[in-house]
Parts: sequence; C-alpha cells; structure tokens
Amino acid sequence: MKYIITTAAFIGIALLILLAKAISNSDLISSDSFRILLGLNIFFICSLIILIAVQIFRLLQSIKKEITGSRLTLRLVLSFALMGIVPVLIVYLVSVNFLTKSIESWFDVKVESALEGGLTLGQKTIDILMSDIELKGRSIAYSIGNADTEQRNNILTDLRAKFGIQDAVIFDQDSKIIEVSSEKNNLIPSIPNIEDLKRGGEDFFGRIEEIKGKEIYLKAFIPIISKTLTSERLILQLTQPIPPSIANLALSVESVYDEYQQLTYSRNSLKIIYILTLTLVLLLALLSSVAASFVISRRFSSPLAMLADATRQISKGNYKKIISEQGKDEIGVLISSFNSMTSQLEEATKNSEKNRERLEVARTFLETILAHLTTGVIVVNDKKIIQLNNVSASKMLQNKENKMNDMAMNKIISNKSLFEPLYKFFETYIDDNKKNKKEISQEFRLKKDKQERTIMLQITPLRDKNSTKYVLVIDDISEVTQAQRHSAWGEIARRLAHEIKNPLTPIQLSAERIQHKFSNKLNKEDSIILERSTKTIVNQVNALKVMVNEFAEYARPPKIQKDKIRIDNLVDEVIELYEINKLISIKKDKNIPFIYADQNKLRQVIINLIENSQDALKDIKKPKIKIFIRKKVNEVELIIEDNGIGIPDEIIGRIFEPYVTSKKTGTGLGLAIVHKIIEEHDGKIKIEKINTSGTRVLIKFKSEINNRHG
Amino acid sequence: MHFFKRISLIIIIIIVSLVIMDRLRDSESNEILIKDVVIDNNKDVKTIKFNQEINFDSLIIKAIEKGIPLAFKVTLRVVEISDIWPTKTILKKVEYYQIEYKTLRKVYRIEDINGNKNEYKYIDKAIQKILKVEDLKFSFIDNNMNYELWLNVALDRKKLPKPLQVNYFDRTWYMNSNKSIHQL
Repeated sequence: MKYIITTAAFIGIALLILLAKAISNSDLISSDSFRILLGLNIFFICSLIILIAVQIFRLLQSIKKEITGSRLTLRLVLSFALMGIVPVLIVYLVSVNFLTKSIESWFDVKVESALEGGLTLGQKTIDILMSDIELKGRSIAYSIGNADTEQRNNILTDLRAKFGIQDAVIFDQDSKIIEVSSEKNNLIPSIPNIEDLKRGGEDFFGRIEEIKGKEIYLKAFIPIISKTLTSERLILQLTQPIPPSIANLALSVESVYDEYQQLTYSRNSLKIIYILTLTLVLLLALLSSVAASFVISRRFSSPLAMLADATRQISKGNYKKIISEQGKDEIGVLISSFNSMTSQLEEATKNSEKNRERLEVARTFLETILAHLTTGVIVVNDKKIIQLNNVSASKMLQNKENKMNDMAMNKIISNKSLFEPLYKFFETYIDDNKKNKKEISQEFRLKKDKQERTIMLQITPLRDKNSTKYVLVIDDISEVTQAQRHSAWGEIARRLAHEIKNPLTPIQLSAERIQHKFSNKLNKEDSIILERSTKTIVNQVNALKVMVNEFAEYARPPKIQKDKIRIDNLVDEVIELYEINKLISIKKDKNIPFIYADQNKLRQVIINLIENSQDALKDIKKPKIKIFIRKKVNEVELIIEDNGIGIPDEIIGRIFEPYVTSKKTGTGLGLAIVHKIIEEHDGKIKIEKINTSGTRVLIKFKSEINNRHG
Repeated sequence: MHFFKRISLIIIIIIVSLVIMDRLRDSESNEILIKDVVIDNNKDVKTIKFNQEINFDSLIIKAIEKGIPLAFKVTLRVVEISDIWPTKTILKKVEYYQIEYKTLRKVYRIEDINGNKNEYKYIDKAIQKILKVEDLKFSFIDNNMNYELWLNVALDRKKLPKPLQVNYFDRTWYMNSNKSIHQL
C-alpha cells in the first residue's frame, strides 16, 4: 500500500508540473496533449479517490473488528488530513478569488472605451476619406458623362491627376475595361467582381480592401450617367490607398480591439480553465495528502499498535511476545525497552512458575502426608475459622465432609457433646490473651456408645506478622494406651507368675508332707481337720497354679507357628468336642479361603469364646449359639453370637483388660488372652451387645489371597 | 481471492477513467445538417455542391460579432467498399470555409472553400453565403470501382481562441455533422 501511495504521489506531482507548464504555454494548451494531460490528471484523481475510499473502508472494517491500532490510525489520519485540507482549502479559495478578480480586471471599461474610441476614430477617418473619394468620383463621373467618347481618356487622366487618385478605371456592365488611368502606369487593373460592379452601376458604392494586412485601399464605384442618353451603362472605379501612417494605426487598433473582444468573450472559458486547473491541483494535493496521511498514520500507529497488542498479550500471560525493532528514534527505544521488560517478565514468570511448581509439589506432598496421617490435623486462625484440615481430622470430629475449610470451629465441635471438653480446652487457649503462648497438649477420655476413647489434643501456635494461626493435632491414642496397659499387665503377670509359681510347689509338698507325717499321729478329729486343711491348701495351691499358668500364658512372649488353615474346618472340629453342640448352629459361606494362623492358638480362642457363651447361657430358657463364617474381600469373618445375659455396660469398654470379667468364678484373663492371640495373628476382634441381651464377638482374619480354595 | 479483489479494483478505475475520457471527447452533435448534395459525375474532375443547415445560436452570433473567426472544416473522403475487407480510403480532401467580422470596416467577410472572399454588411447574408458550398472539386483514378463518398462538416475548434478550445465543458463549440454518404 505505501509503495502504491508513494508512486501515486510522484505521478501526481509530475502531472501537476506538466499541467502547470501546459497552462503557461499557449501552444501546448491548444494541443491534444493538454487534453490527454487533463484526462490523465482526472484519471489519477479518480484513482486516488478510489484508493482512499478502499483505505477508509478497510480502516472502518478494522475498527469494527477491533483490531489494535485501527482507532489510533483513524485519529492520526483525520489529524493529518485536517492539517492538509484546511490550509490547502484556504489557499485554493484565495487563489480562485484572486484569479477571478485578476481576469475581471483585464477587462476594464476604460480600456474597452479607449479601444472603441481608437477604432471609431479609424472608421471615421476612413469614412472621411471615403466621402472625399466619393465627391471626387462623382465629379469625374459627371465630367466623363458630359464628354465625348474620344475625350474620355484625357478627362479621366486629367481629373485623376488633379484629384490625386491612384487608379481610375471605367468598366462597362460586363466588366469590360473601357478606359484606364493610373498614377503608376498600371495598365492592368484589378477586375472587380460582378456583384460590386452591379451595385456600383446603381449608385455609389465604396468598399475598403486590405492587402495582406498591411495596406488598405479605398475602392469606389460610381455610375457614369451619359448625356447622350445611350443605352451604354458605364461604371467608374477609383482606387485610392489610405496613407500608410493612418492605415497602420487603424489596422493596429482593429487587431487589438479584436483580440480584446475575443478575450472578453472567452473570459468565462478562461476562468473555467484556470479554476479547473486550480481545482485539479487542489484535489491532487488534498487527495495525495490524505493518501499520504494513511501511510504516515500507519507508520506512526503500527509500532504503537504492536506495543498495545503485545501489552494485551502480556496481560494474558504470553511473555514470549517480542516486537521487531523499529529504528533508533524514541519509538525504537520504547520498543527496545518493552522487549527488555518482556524478557525480564518472562524470566521472572519462569522463576515464579518454577517456585509455584515447587510449592505445588511441596503442598501436594504435605497434603498427601496429611491425608495419610491417622492423626487429625487442623489449622485454625485466631477467629477460630478452619483454614486447613486433613481427612483424619474430619473423621475424628465426625464431620460428614472431608473438607472443613472456612467453617467455624465451634460449628464443627460445639454441637457434638462428645467433643465439648476438647472445644472448651481449645477455646480457653485461643481466647487467652497471653503473649508468646506455648505449645500445649492434653489427653481426653471421651465416652461414646459406652466405649471409652483416649484423645490427645495438641495445640501449636504459628505466628506471622499480622496474625496467629493454630495447628490442632488430634490423635486417638486409645489403642496406644490399651497396648501400654496390656504391656503393663503382661509385666505384672510375668512377675506374678514368677514370684508366685516358685513357692507353690514347696507349699503343696509341705502341706502333703504334713498330712502324711501327722495324720497317723493325731486323733481322729484332729486328723480330719488336718486332712481338710491340707486338702484346702492343696486345692488353693492348685487354683493358684491354674491362675499362675493363665498369667504365664498371658505374659508369654509371642510365639506362634502359622500354617495354612481353614477356619470353618477348625470350628467344626472344636464344636464336635462339646455335648451342647446341638445348641450351636453354624452358617458358613462356600469356599471359605485359607488363612495363615496357629491352629492350636485359634482353637484356644474358639474354645474360650464358646465357653464364655456357654457360661452366659446357663439361666437362659432357649439358649442358642450362632456361628457365622463369612467370606469377605481379602478377609474371613468369624462371628459367634449368643442370646445369653450379655456383658454389663460398665465393663464392655475394658473387656479385653485382665481381671475385667462379669463372671463370679473367672480369672478375667480369658478374653485378654483371646485378644492377645488375635492381635498376634494381625486380626481384629470386637465384642458388642446384641439389642437387649446377648453378645456378639466379631473376629476378622486376613485371607490367603494366592490360594483361596483348599 | 486477494488477487481478484485487486484486479476488480483496477477494472473499476479503468472504467471510471474511460467514462471521464469519453466525456472529454468531442461530442457527436448534429448541429450541422448536410443536404441537397449534388455530385457532377460526368468528368474526371468531379464537382460537388451541397447546402447546409447550421444552428447558429445567439452565443455563436455574438462570438462572430466580437470578431471570433469561425472556420468550418469540410472533409471529403472517397472510400472503397468491400464486403470482405475493411473500408479503404482512396482519397481524402480537407477544405475550409470561414466567416469573420472585420470591425474596422464593419463587414462580415466570407472566405469560401476555393479561397474567394466576399464581404457583407449584414450577418444574415453572410450566413446565407456560407451555407452553400459549391465547386468542391476532387478526382480519382478508377471510375468502375465501388466507391462511396463520405462528407463531413465540422467547426474547426483549433482555429478558435485558445480559452475556447480548452473549455471542453462548453458544448456550444462542438458543431459537427453526421457523415453524409453518397454512392459514386
């Protein structure tokens, strides 16, 4: 486009120069080349108009499509065009006015009057000369008319010489020369045309003849009336030159007057052609300036548009946008700075992105850790609003949704009476206005569904410049405390077994020895008493031995021999040993998978549980024991249910602890040992009450996956 | 597509310019009517005479009175007509006749196509004189061929004052006759 406009501008200037030259050259102006030049100019103007129209259309399209820089281009085009149009229009109007007035001033009334006066003067002079020659002619014609034929020539010659006439010729009606008299002895006079002779035969007729625009002759035709009354009709022709000084002046005035008149007549045409030329110049200048304004505007707006576009790209996050260099002017420097800034931004963004990725990895890592932590973690701000939590925290606080972000802590905790102590502790800590609060932790024993749980709450303040956040670590340490308790019991049992078992045998032996040695030496009564006492000692020692053995069993170090067994087969085997096996019903799934377990230990567990059920069913009218063996995903469930008296609520939570029993005769170690054996098999055991009465024991074993079926 | 757009733009420019050029061309006006053409075919040198009707409006009369000479160009063309080949010009002859007002002597001078000059005091008579063209002579070799005579009369703008020549927009000065065709 810019090449087209530049070329057009050069062509326009060339055409303008040619047109101006043509206007000043009168030879050119009348030639066809001027018309061609005019046509070319008009063609060029039309081309420019179309070009500009196309440009305007494209610009408007660009604005409609909201292409960057188009509005700026339009504004610049309008500014440049106005800058060109206003002065050119002023110059044009002034020029047209000046030109019109100048042309009008050529045709001054005084000049015209003077020329007309000069012309009239010439005409009058010629008229006077013509009148003079008429008088002379009439006089000659009269004299010749009264003379005889023989005297005509002499009279003609005399009178011609007397009146100072150059040539005198007598013609008849047929243009035949009758007599000739010439000052220059010109015997061959010019022959007048028939029409002149005809008019001259009727009356005086004078005419003026020009010879090559240099000399003017007066030619007079006068009829000769003969006194002899003959039918011959003669015409006298007198030829008299006007004096050269008068003739030249008259012709000169005529020439100037003619030119002046022609100019006056064609002044409108003159005005039109000059105004047309000026208008063409104006249009060429205006249109060229408008066309050039498009190029200049685009040149100015292009880098700014690129900058705007690049800025927009950057605002969208594309920092790779680099603008091509645009020279070394201010815009070039601006673009260079912009490119530099973009590079820096890109670098910074890359770094930021890397940091963000690292942070994201760290955050994901932290989230993964938190998600897999069995410990609940909650971050709370000083307004007790939860900022962050993990799944375990949500589960511990019995919230339905895993995410508790932006929820108030009191809403999560306070409406659950179970956690009231926790919340009070937390609230007291948060509301404490102490500065430099230290990390704090506390254990809470919470009872839910008659089961006691031990919860550890640890609060750690996190301080930053503006606020303090608190990290709440909630840990269910029930199993830990239970394990600690079991461990303690184990230690006690081991020591008890060791300390008590050793003296039992000597005690029993001593008692038996006393009876043996003194039973024969005492009277009957004493002997009976001794026997009864010794028996009591031996029985008690045996009872103590049983208790000590049970303690020893409880306290023994884990030593099991696992084999691949089927629990359903083991249950069947154990039940056959019992007389009451009619009370026992078994429901088992098909294809129960193998488990890895110590058969003897599991047998001990099953026997213990069935015996417990048997004990609970003593006073029950319709005693029933139900055993279920179920196949689960990767697990095998063993359920033993009875409809016995059940376990009291007070002890059900601690039923696996030693010495916790509802039976009058029990040691309270049976379920503790069962629990220990199940734990040693990585299994799970749960005891719960069935509705109003009865107990359900649920044991879960991990199944042997690779070889399910026996 | 872009190429076609450019081509169409160029075509539009050319059409517009042709229209403008056409407007600048001499218009085919019919202000001169050639009539009563008589061709003397009997001799080797042929003579033509014809009458004309010329619409001299007031502007032209005024121009004559202001001393602007009006020269009329008579173009005679003898062409050979062929059904196959394009028309071939055998002879072309251009003659002028002129009317001019002489202000000093207050007469209208007529110069006919043969160079004869006559002067008239009144313009009516002068115009009557120029409307009759006589003794336009021409000759050509072969009398047996199929020839046509084409006659055309037009005001010669090149002999007008220059401002009037350049004023292409004034249609007054475009006086032209139709081509008058005659079988020879």
